[in-house]
Amino acid sequence: MDIDLSKEDLAFRDEVRSFFEDSKIKDGEDYFSWREGWFKKAREKGGWDVPKWPAKFGGPGWTPTQHYIWEQETAKANIPFDLPFGLGMLAPILMNYGTEEQQQRFLPDIRDRKVNWCQGYSEPGAGSDLANLKTKAVLSEDGTHYIVNGSKIWTTLAHIADWIFCLTRTDDSGIKQQGITFLLFPMKQEGIEVKPIITLGGSHTVNTVHFTDVKVPVENRIGEEGKGWTYAKGLLEHERTGLAGLSKSLVELEQLKDKARTVQRGNGNLMDDASYKSKVGELEIDLLATEFTELRSLASAAAGGEPGPESSILKLKGTEIKQRIQKLTVEASGIYASAWGDKGAGPSFAKGGTAGYLNSRYFTIYGGASEVQKDIVAKKVLGLTSSKSK
Amino acid sequence: MNFELSEEQKMIQQSVERFVQENYDLSDRIKISSENPGYSKDYWNSMAELGWLGLAFDEEDGGFGGNQIDTLVLMEQFGKGLVLEPFLANIVLAGGAIKRGASKALKESIIPKLIEGNLQLTLAYAEEQSRFDIEDVATAAREDAGNFIINGKKSMVLNAESADKVVVVTRTSGSQVDINGISLFLVDLDSEGIERDNFPTVDGLRASEISFKDVEVSAENLIGEKDKGFSILQEVVNDAILALSAEAVGAMEVLYKDTVEYTQQREQFDHPLSDFQVLQHRMVDMFMEYEQCKSLLLRATMETVQDPVSSQRTVHALKHLIGKSGIFVGESAVQTHGGMGVTEELRIGHFFKRLLVIDSQFGNSDFHLEKFTNT
Repeated sequence: MDIDLSKEDLAFRDEVRSFFEDSKIKDGEDYFSWREGWFKKAREKGGWDVPKWPAKFGGPGWTPTQHYIWEQETAKANIPFDLPFGLGMLAPILMNYGTEEQQQRFLPDIRDRKVNWCQGYSEPGAGSDLANLKTKAVLSEDGTHYIVNGSKIWTTLAHIADWIFCLTRTDDSGIKQQGITFLLFPMKQEGIEVKPIITLGGSHTVNTVHFTDVKVPVENRIGEEGKGWTYAKGLLEHERTGLAGLSKSLVELEQLKDKARTVQRGNGNLMDDASYKSKVGELEIDLLATEFTELRSLASAAAGGEPGPESSILKLKGTEIKQRIQKLTVEASGIYASAWGDKGAGPSFAKGGTAGYLNSRYFTIYGGASEVQKDIVAKKVLGLTSSKSK
Repeated sequence: MNFELSEEQKMIQQSVERFVQENYDLSDRIKISSENPGYSKDYWNSMAELGWLGLAFDEEDGGFGGNQIDTLVLMEQFGKGLVLEPFLANIVLAGGAIKRGASKALKESIIPKLIEGNLQLTLAYAEEQSRFDIEDVATAAREDAGNFIINGKKSMVLNAESADKVVVVTRTSGSQVDINGISLFLVDLDSEGIERDNFPTVDGLRASEISFKDVEVSAENLIGEKDKGFSILQEVVNDAILALSAEAVGAMEVLYKDTVEYTQQREQFDHPLSDFQVLQHRMVDMFMEYEQCKSLLLRATMETVQDPVSSQRTVHALKHLIGKSGIFVGESAVQTHGGMGVTEELRIGHFFKRLLVIDSQFGNSDFHLEKFTNT
């Protein structure tokens, strides 16, 4: 056992750091042209614009440790924003199950950040029980297209998306997981209505989307009709482990301490307050452990094995940690925790902190609620069965 | 020992309950909150006509001679609808200070109008550096030829946007954190030198930062003795804690009941959510927290009615538990409702926000735990 990074890994870390340093945005530089240039330079580094893509599709083909280093460094550096839907969610499905024609049609635009995608999975009646989805796709008599009718909910950024990847039901005669078909279609067309959902933090990120007789050509279907669940499932598991966000939490924890230090208490500051300090301490201890749980999981993946049972707790612990950081930000705001609106009052972190805390309640709900995650751990890791059919 | 409300109190309870049911569903509340002045003047007048505003004032001041238990009855029901009318700022805070410390003449000029609903008041006590320490007062009142000149800044003042007058907590002597040397004044909010910066709060109410620059106030507007205002402030803050805790208990009742109802209707995995043991146990925990908060609320309120000084430790205990349990119940309701819980569309999110705000007012859960263990 050895806690040190290898010489090669250290060299890689330095290379990443100096790349971030050299490609920083300059004072007065236009954000969007910088962003475009940044991805171009990252691409020239050998696929750094698509770090998670396999080498076969132009990715860097990093080892798990290199991925970990990248994640740590990106959490600290100022790099351009990126949305996960096309790059991280749809692309792997296209790579694994799409035809060559589909890959050539969609992957380049995803890589160039030209097309915004959204994910059409959850429905009003299909949340944790996603396979219960009912949005209907009916194949036309001549077999050239599907007609889609139904509703999706919690569709993140549907209001700015150009395309959607969507789970639809083409057959309801078998068990729920069968008869689901994976379709891709443009969002800006007749028959699609997007309505905002305002979340507790006061922001508009998620939507409901209604489909009325939306026509989708058969060549926009991924894989076989009725097998969509199999394709989506792999992605869901990917989503569930990818949500821990520990590197970012480590950075946010340090920021939290900085904020708390600006809150004067007597001759000291809030980080001298016994109960506040001990909550920050407990949080940090959990984070230290979870970070190593993630590393153990990476190490077994690096050794070529399947991720061990420890990986199943990463989303559970990671999301809970993120929520606790938000909660402690609210507590640091003191009497100003309730200040709202454009002006607000109190320290600069007060208003954003409370909105962040309220929206953070979503972390233990989306991508598989914690209760469902624990059911999966109980069943798959501990081998427990339930007397009720859950 | 007797936990029964009097017949009169029961009648009031039923009448407030009906008022909330008839006037305070979520869409009503959102509408009232978004329009000026952020509450309904009609409802405020109704509350005055029904006698609710005068319940906790002495008969000789024109009230009904009630006490904190009457306020509890009102506030618990208010909590079930997240009532927006500024009862706390007017009656519990400013009214509470005036009834305890104002001269007879000042009382006579203020309390009847307050009870009739014709005067809007508030209390300004917190400051930027004070956090939850009510004795930390930098805003200075300097004596000058029989008058006082006030300079400083007050934070998070409730209802200040529509208030006519404000009770200001000032420093007249001593160091910034000394409990001696604090004096309370009733000041016209349109006085020269006062500026208000108004903003909404996360729970749909409104608050203000108020700055005082050479604001002149006559000695007749002193509430209580000069330099000895702290004990009045402490009692008023304790009353506010009792009132907010009663509101929180009402809100928690809505949250746990709404959650039970939702899980019985919502089906996933071919079962109502209420079939799942993990959710059942969470709802039992929510119910237990609600009941425990209610018990401590009654205990602290009854002890305060008996002796407002010796009840101090129980009041600390109450605010600690209300803060902690309120957020637990709110977070649990949201989690159990899933995605819908995180939206503005269901009322539970609004109740959760109110409980979050209550924890941040008059000392949060940590603050009162420390006070409790040190008392």
